[in-house]
Amino acid sequence: MPEGLNINAVRASFFEALNSSKTLQELDDLRIKYTGKKGDLTLLLRSLGKLPKEERKDAGQELNALRDEIELQLEQTGKKIRDSENEQQEIHERIDVTLPERGRTCGAFHPVIQTMHEIANIMQGLGYSVATGPEKEEEFYNFECLNMPSWHPARDMQDTFYFPDGTLLRTHTSPVQIRAMLQYGAPLRIVCPGKVYRRDNDTTHSPMFNQMEGLLVDKDVPFSVMKGTLTEMLNAFFGRSLKSRFRASYFPFTETSMELDIECVECSGHDEHCRVCHGTGWLEVAGMGMVHPNVIRAGKIDPDEYNGFAFGIGLDRMAMLKYGIGDLRLLFDGNISYFMSGFGGAAKC
Amino acid sequence: MLVSWELLKNFIDIEPIDLTPEELAERLTFSGSEVEGITYTAGKMRGIVAARIDALEQHPEERKYSIAHLNTGTGEHVCITSAHNMKAGDMVFYAGEGAVLPDGTEMGTRDFAGVKSYGMMLSAEELGLHDVDDPSGLLILPKDARPGDNAASLYHVGDVIFDVSITPNRGDLLSILGMAREIRGLYPKSMLKVPEWMRPLKQDKEWCENFGSISLPDKGCLCYRLGLATGAKMAQSPLTAKIDLAHLGMRPIVNAVDVTNYIMLMLGQPLHAFDLNTLPEREITVRAAHTGEHMMTLDGKDRALTERDMLITSGGEAIALAGVMGGEQTGINDDTSTIVIESACFSPVRVGHTSRRLGINSEAAFRFSRTVDPALSRTALMAATTLMRDWCGAVVDYKPLSAENETYTPKPVKLTRKKLSTYLSWDNMNEAAKILDGFGIVSVGENEFMPPTWRPDITIEEDLIEEIGRFRGYNDTPDKLPGEMPRRADIGSSMELASFIRKSLMARGYTEVVTYSFLPEDFPEKLRLSPDDIRAKTLTLANPISRDQMAMRTTLLPGLLMGLRTAIASGWREPVRIFEQGKIFLKDDEHEHIEPDHAAAILYNGSDTRSPSGNRTEDFYSVKADVEALITARGYEAVFVAGHEPFTHAGQTANVFVGGKNIGYVARLKPAIEQELDVSGVYVFELDVSGLEQAKKPEFTPASSFPASFRDISLLVSIDKSNDNVMKDIRECVSSDGEITLEGLRLFDVYVGKGIPEGFRSLAYSLSYRSHTRTLKDEEVEAIHNNVRESLKQKGYVIR
Ligand SMILES: [Zn+2]
Repeated sequence: MPEGLNINAVRASFFEALNSSKTLQELDDLRIKYTGKKGDLTLLLRSLGKLPKEERKDAGQELNALRDEIELQLEQTGKKIRDSENEQQEIHERIDVTLPERGRTCGAFHPVIQTMHEIANIMQGLGYSVATGPEKEEEFYNFECLNMPSWHPARDMQDTFYFPDGTLLRTHTSPVQIRAMLQYGAPLRIVCPGKVYRRDNDTTHSPMFNQMEGLLVDKDVPFSVMKGTLTEMLNAFFGRSLKSRFRASYFPFTETSMELDIECVECSGHDEHCRVCHGTGWLEVAGMGMVHPNVIRAGKIDPDEYNGFAFGIGLDRMAMLKYGIGDLRLLFDGNISYFMSGFGGAAKC
Repeated sequence: MLVSWELLKNFIDIEPIDLTPEELAERLTFSGSEVEGITYTAGKMRGIVAARIDALEQHPEERKYSIAHLNTGTGEHVCITSAHNMKAGDMVFYAGEGAVLPDGTEMGTRDFAGVKSYGMMLSAEELGLHDVDDPSGLLILPKDARPGDNAASLYHVGDVIFDVSITPNRGDLLSILGMAREIRGLYPKSMLKVPEWMRPLKQDKEWCENFGSISLPDKGCLCYRLGLATGAKMAQSPLTAKIDLAHLGMRPIVNAVDVTNYIMLMLGQPLHAFDLNTLPEREITVRAAHTGEHMMTLDGKDRALTERDMLITSGGEAIALAGVMGGEQTGINDDTSTIVIESACFSPVRVGHTSRRLGINSEAAFRFSRTVDPALSRTALMAATTLMRDWCGAVVDYKPLSAENETYTPKPVKLTRKKLSTYLSWDNMNEAAKILDGFGIVSVGENEFMPPTWRPDITIEEDLIEEIGRFRGYNDTPDKLPGEMPRRADIGSSMELASFIRKSLMARGYTEVVTYSFLPEDFPEKLRLSPDDIRAKTLTLANPISRDQMAMRTTLLPGLLMGLRTAIASGWREPVRIFEQGKIFLKDDEHEHIEPDHAAAILYNGSDTRSPSGNRTEDFYSVKADVEALITARGYEAVFVAGHEPFTHAGQTANVFVGGKNIGYVARLKPAIEQELDVSGVYVFELDVSGLEQAKKPEFTPASSFPASFRDISLLVSIDKSNDNVMKDIRECVSSDGEITLEGLRLFDVYVGKGIPEGFRSLAYSLSYRSHTRTLKDEEVEAIHNNVRESLKQKGYVIR
């Protein structure tokens, strides 16, 4: 090893300089100083030729090893410094994540339409298809086919909006029963959701409201299937098993007819002053019955071969019960503040 | 309908005898006649007794007061009154010190100008008996009252009144008799009985007054009977009868009229009493009205008649609209002494038509349209004449006059075990026969049952099953679900689309609303629609509730704007983003109409747009993005073309085309309409979504493994030229040799201002070229891009 080519001295001075380097710039300077074109190590390598042949090989190996070591050290230290600099930067760039979001926030659903879709989905699971019909209906489908001729006193229960040509706004979703029977024949399993209209307007009635009709026509349909279907639907909708009871009633288009009460979803019958059930513990939610043979016949199906059941539920009432809404009329004024604030989280999607 | 517990006892001995009114109400409710309320008429009444006025003297100071000395059987009481209708010896109701009135008022002592009064003597009003007697005088009791008897147990003062909702098929339940029969069916061990005044009466004398004929040329009058009462004295009815009438919601008037009302309430037969001497002629004809004929009804209204209406005439003059309403001139007056009582039966179809068409819902019309037992007219007439004798002191042993047409007769109905078992999951035929028998439906042969004359609603097997079902109740039937699917359950494309749209728009920040399908009549003018616009030709209701809900909507926009208005009116300052889906109603031609499914939304930034991240403002392009997202997600391409709507901003309106069809618009609302709403910057869209029902399946193209090359180009364009047109030109300029394609074209800058001439703008685009077979060389891309530049120059574009 020639004088002045003290490899150990070069290594020592490099590490000394490396340890005191704090920035990427200092590191870069160091790289130039040692491995640059005029760097200490480069000069040493160039001077190898001056060495005697037998020493040259060892010295060369030694120098190359030192260069590899320096480059590795420079890279590792560089990475450490960059990481630390990024960390500093991130701390500097910290934000308040609780500031409000930018742009739009989520919308909200309308409880009645939500209810309509929920129940349609439940019924689809039970094998029912969705059928629809016009809202401006003919007297024939809305009344006559449903065993309600014009003189029939049951018409008093349904104050009707008429158009000058004698057509009307359907007073129930039942005419879709007839249209579906005529279109598809038997057997048949359908639900018909939609708007219906009656000439009523007070705190408990809106001139427009929403119903869902259900119809099953098949051979030898027993009452127990209607009962099971209704129970299943209500339990699925309210998400729990509810007590229910059937009361005899009357509809011109069913025979036998009944109404279904469910236990109060608010108080389960435990609150004498309950604002939902008024202390009775029961809520009337659906009317139903075995389809009257005349109605089956109006659907061009033979009542001696087929029978069935039909039911109607008030979607607005169901929505009010599930989402705890007090006044029906608030549902149809399109006021966003009601759904977004009055409702809290319930209506958020 | 109101039903009295006390009066029921005239018709039935209920078994079990300890049945409470509440238990009865529950049974009735579950068997189809919902009891909506039970009223104890005595209310909080306590300690009120009958008392005799032993002596009466004037108050020494105040002449308007009288001092009464009362005997209640347990002592003498002093009581002061300002009433004048009593005299010594009269019986009155007395509420002494500590007694409680029905309304809860407790009696004390009171000083009347130096004389102490212990409690008070009562008027009918103070007993809670409205309309029974003069409210300013004391209620004077019949002579047979005994001092000390409890008021609540006298004259039906303390009754239990049920408010029962009777379904339209059960006209037979619109009477106490009918309810008694129903209760007998529900409690089969009970015994029906006949009240005293319904016992047969010997009536065989010829009329002392001559009367001509009764003729019934209209078959809608099933039967018509007249009874005669002579020497009647017009006075008040017995106190118990008056109280009964009042409890059942009917005002006592005068004995002869009260008789007819009482019989109607008890038996369900509407009756009419008239003064024989006011009949135009002593003859009655029931005939169909002539179309165009008019009649003045009792309520003073002139009624235009049709041939479906029935008239009762005398000497050619109409005296009543049969079964619906009488005329005034034949009524009972104070001097009446010869009374003719009409008891008839009319077709429910005919009465139903007339009363519905004319909107007259009288007690008679209500009952006849729900069917009155045709066999009842004879018994009811006899009972009414009996009461004319008892209440008016009349002579009534005259033979009734009758005329009859063909009437309804019940037919036997078959009951099969199979159907019974299907419907009710129960099939005990013996038990079933017993249940039917309880309701008066008797077995007349092998599984054949004959309904009584008062049940014309029972005509088919299902009707019998319903009787059995409602007797047994429906709650014990097991729950079952239907077996195999008759057909594949299909949610339906319109429901599926509606569900998709609502979820998409909610996720994009819109709130779902539902507004009324009917709008104010003038909404087309408010929207500036011209009269020949299809949306201005509205379907209009013939009988709206108000002018504000009269015209069927032809667009969803007015409802949404109403929502915006109510939101602002309720103090909402945040952004309003609402949408609605629903049908609109369009006249197709004179007779047809269509109901397309629409979806529409409005976006308004709100009156307070401040936020930490700068002012929130959205505009046309925000709503455009929402529309594009909806359509694209269904697999279709949306094309926006500058367009026009009468109610939108002339410079900010685009029509939306899908598959070449105009399906709606995106726009800013017309500023003039914004000003009417006192807002600025309302953006809207409305789409006919029926074309989007079938979602298109997306086509997948594999990603290229070769890189794209990007070049920018900046063009000076007249402001009249749309971005769409410029992009179309650029695409045309790329030579389509097949191998290298213009894969992407994106506008990234629009600049107007310094360096750009008036009437122009600078549009800058990024173009991406790609080959699917190899990596492109820079020179190749440069060559193609240069060609594009040259072609654009040839098209007249200035490249910046
Ligand atoms: Zn409750």
